[in-house]
Amino acid sequence: MRDPFTVLGVDEAADDAEIRRRYLALVRDFPPDRAPERFREYRAAYEALSDERKRLEMTLLGTNTIALSRLCTAALLAASPGSSRASKQAVAALLAEGIMRTVTDKRPPG
Amino acid sequence: MKKPNQRGPVSSASLGALAARAAEALKQQRFKEAVELFKPMIRQDPRPEWKQSLAEAYRGRARALAAKKMFKEAAMVVENTLGSDGTLADPVFYLHCLIRDGQHQKAAAHVRQYVGTESTLPAEERAILEDLAAALLVAVPLGPDPARAPSAEQARWLELAAASREALAAWVAGASAQEVERQLNRISLRSAFRPVRVLLKCLITMPQDADRSRQLLEAIPPESPFFAFREAVAAAVLAERALDADRWHRLTPVQQAFVAQTRNLPGTAVQFLARSAEAARSGPSALFGFLFKQPDLPQAEVRSACLNLLPQMPDRLSQFEKHFGPLPDFERHRIQALAAEGRGDWAKAERFWRAAVAATSVDDGDDRQAKLSRGVILRHLAQLAAKHPEIEGDGDGFLDDPVISYLERSCQADPDYVAGVLELIGHYRADSRLKDWHRLVDEAVQRFPDNSALLLQATESAMARKAYKKAAGFAHRLLKIDPINSGVRRQMIELQVAHARKQMRAGRLELAAKELAAAAEWERPDVPSALLRIAQALVELRAGQGAQAQARLRAGVALAGSGVAGWFRAALEGELMKLTGSSAGLLRQELARERETPPTKEAVMAIVSALGQSDTGENKRAVASLLLGMRAWLLQAAVIDWLPAEFQALAEILARFDAFDVLAEYARTARRREPGNPIWRFHEIVARTRGNTTRLTMRETEELGRMVDAAVNREDFRAANRIERFLSGGDDAPLRRRRSAAALLDTLDDDDVPELFAAMLEGMPKGATDSVRGLVREFGRDGAVAHMVEQARATPGGPGMPDPVLRELCQAVVAMAMDGSQPRQAPTARRSGCDA
Repeated sequence: MRDPFTVLGVDEAADDAEIRRRYLALVRDFPPDRAPERFREYRAAYEALSDERKRLEMTLLGTNTIALSRLCTAALLAASPGSSRASKQAVAALLAEGIMRTVTDKRPPG
Repeated sequence: MKKPNQRGPVSSASLGALAARAAEALKQQRFKEAVELFKPMIRQDPRPEWKQSLAEAYRGRARALAAKKMFKEAAMVVENTLGSDGTLADPVFYLHCLIRDGQHQKAAAHVRQYVGTESTLPAEERAILEDLAAALLVAVPLGPDPARAPSAEQARWLELAAASREALAAWVAGASAQEVERQLNRISLRSAFRPVRVLLKCLITMPQDADRSRQLLEAIPPESPFFAFREAVAAAVLAERALDADRWHRLTPVQQAFVAQTRNLPGTAVQFLARSAEAARSGPSALFGFLFKQPDLPQAEVRSACLNLLPQMPDRLSQFEKHFGPLPDFERHRIQALAAEGRGDWAKAERFWRAAVAATSVDDGDDRQAKLSRGVILRHLAQLAAKHPEIEGDGDGFLDDPVISYLERSCQADPDYVAGVLELIGHYRADSRLKDWHRLVDEAVQRFPDNSALLLQATESAMARKAYKKAAGFAHRLLKIDPINSGVRRQMIELQVAHARKQMRAGRLELAAKELAAAAEWERPDVPSALLRIAQALVELRAGQGAQAQARLRAGVALAGSGVAGWFRAALEGELMKLTGSSAGLLRQELARERETPPTKEAVMAIVSALGQSDTGENKRAVASLLLGMRAWLLQAAVIDWLPAEFQALAEILARFDAFDVLAEYARTARRREPGNPIWRFHEIVARTRGNTTRLTMRETEELGRMVDAAVNREDFRAANRIERFLSGGDDAPLRRRRSAAALLDTLDDDDVPELFAAMLEGMPKGATDSVRGLVREFGRDGAVAHMVEQARATPGGPGMPDPVLRELCQAVVAMAMDGSQPRQAPTARRSGCDA
């Protein structure tokens, strides 16, 4: 399982309120009835960080990739939704991937 | 397999033999052989059933090839089943093979002939075929089949596919929303091409109506070939905020490319995302190197990302410090400790964690965060110590339990953490450190007066100290917080009934009745207590309140399960109260009458539960005599198929009240039923020796040692502990503590042992020497050794020592006392002792 900070996308110094806010936002986007696996992952991450001592355990006794995640998010900030069109190749590749996925039944996590 | 001769005609006799062989090969799933056999047969006599069998053999062969990922070959084999109408035996499987082999053009051409035609395919297969057909026909431009004229429905399919492709092309080319919309209107919402319409609709209407887009997208199910497209469109249009790293990394590279283009992500950002993902896939070292070479990124974030990689590659620590400046001691030790854990070097991990704890004390003084950090690390050390004997702890003696000592330190560092305190209480209780248990509970309950778990502990602690008023006070406080807590109510009733028994034994009926009236206050009306009913009834019987007492007694017996179980409970209570005369006679008569019914598992377990009360141990003789009367009935229950856990509870009770003959019969019967389970043999040995380890033969000792090893190997620590506890004469010290001592001794070379013993014996006082000589005179040399082993076992360090080591030490003491010689060395015994 990925580290809970990265799953929720919260800083190691985030407090209870911030973690809860972020968790609720994610659950709103991926509710259990529509994305049960993702919800389970968010729930587990939230439970792992919901208490000050648990958070400290996660920080001190493990490693996380939240800083790298923040760097990637910063890179993604430069994008704006729907401002452009994809190429013909990108669409073709997406269709081919969907067709292949149907017969291999291998879907990426989440 | 040799191919059958295909040159000349086959005689009818040999054709029959061939048919039998072919059928057998098909049945045995030797498809290749079956194909080779059926082919010449059909050439000579094209019987429909043989043709059908050949097609079946081809299908089987193709599936076998596909299982080996030989999709191209599998597709070629299926093509052999091509019928005169141009259809194949297994069209969906064939389509899968073509797609898996990347032959999308051929796959599209294949599905073209199936769409819009009457088909014998089952509805589910047909739906899959149609979904795939739609996706393929959109992905691969295909005109009508020149070999045959399309039906009206087929022509419609091709028309919808063309409309879908044109709509996509318009969107790609940057056509206006109205233009794309116009194209989309050509795609029927009831056709298999509906997903294309939905996807493009979302792309052209975003980001104005996110909810509507979400609803539309949900119509494309995960099993659809358009689902990958749906996920990409959702990431492209639905993220209200900027797309975050988590969502990005959940996309496949193909989806990422689509999203990057659609969201107009700058090339530098795309490059960074791709390269960082690639570096992360290549391992921490590659990622560390990549991040180091990113001067344009925020350096605080780069530092944090690199710091998190260091436990996986502590050799980069100096490089990190050179670049970002020195780390605090605490961080350095933490990284080294995590790195040692990663290597499984537990001793080193312990050393670094302890250094980290020491560093927080120095670096941060009384800072709250530092205290919490110390608490977390020390608790972690306790957890590690419970799993890894290499963790030695920092107690004064080498037999101190490191789990407890680390938990104690953790509670000192972070005294506000209730879960930590409760964990330590649990360990004190398990380790029979009663003074520590009571002390900690007293302290904790003052610190956390409203914590129900601690109040329950405080109640139990006070009860164990026979401080009834204190226990009652805690129980009242607990019930204010948690009025339903049935555990504390039951305990208080039991405690008060125990007081009533004492009064009854002393002949003070009124006081006994008063105690029971007080016990009734703990009872909830909806959960009546059998024990209380029976006790009240017996007091009333003794007081001569016949009718009322009898009615109450029968009510109590009914609550206790009726039959043998209920009347045994009443008789047991009678014994504990030392009831005599007609009242005792009544109980005996009723129990004897009920014993005529054969035993059941539930009845026996109810008796076990009744015998498990604390008061029964204090009145062992009376209970044993009652149990003796149950002997014949209990023996009948030996044939019941007991689960090991049930058997264990039963065996403990039988052994506690010296019913070893019953236990022996149970163990023998269980062993006959299940000879492979060593636990039955263990109980057989316990019964034979009457629970006394001095009666063990050498063979039995070795057998039990092997049982412990086997139990440890299969990680059945409960069984291993149980056998070890028996071997050490009932000591409750946990296995890991004893193993820790054994592990310590195991680290010594065989040559070190005599030296160690000699050093220990040098300081032996003269008085001790005289005592040993006296023992030798009285019991002989071997007898003196045995006697001393027994005595040593009772010392605080004794339970931690493996038996052979204790024996060796005592032999050395005797040798030293008698003739001042060095002990006889027995390296194999030490080794086996440590293993045990």
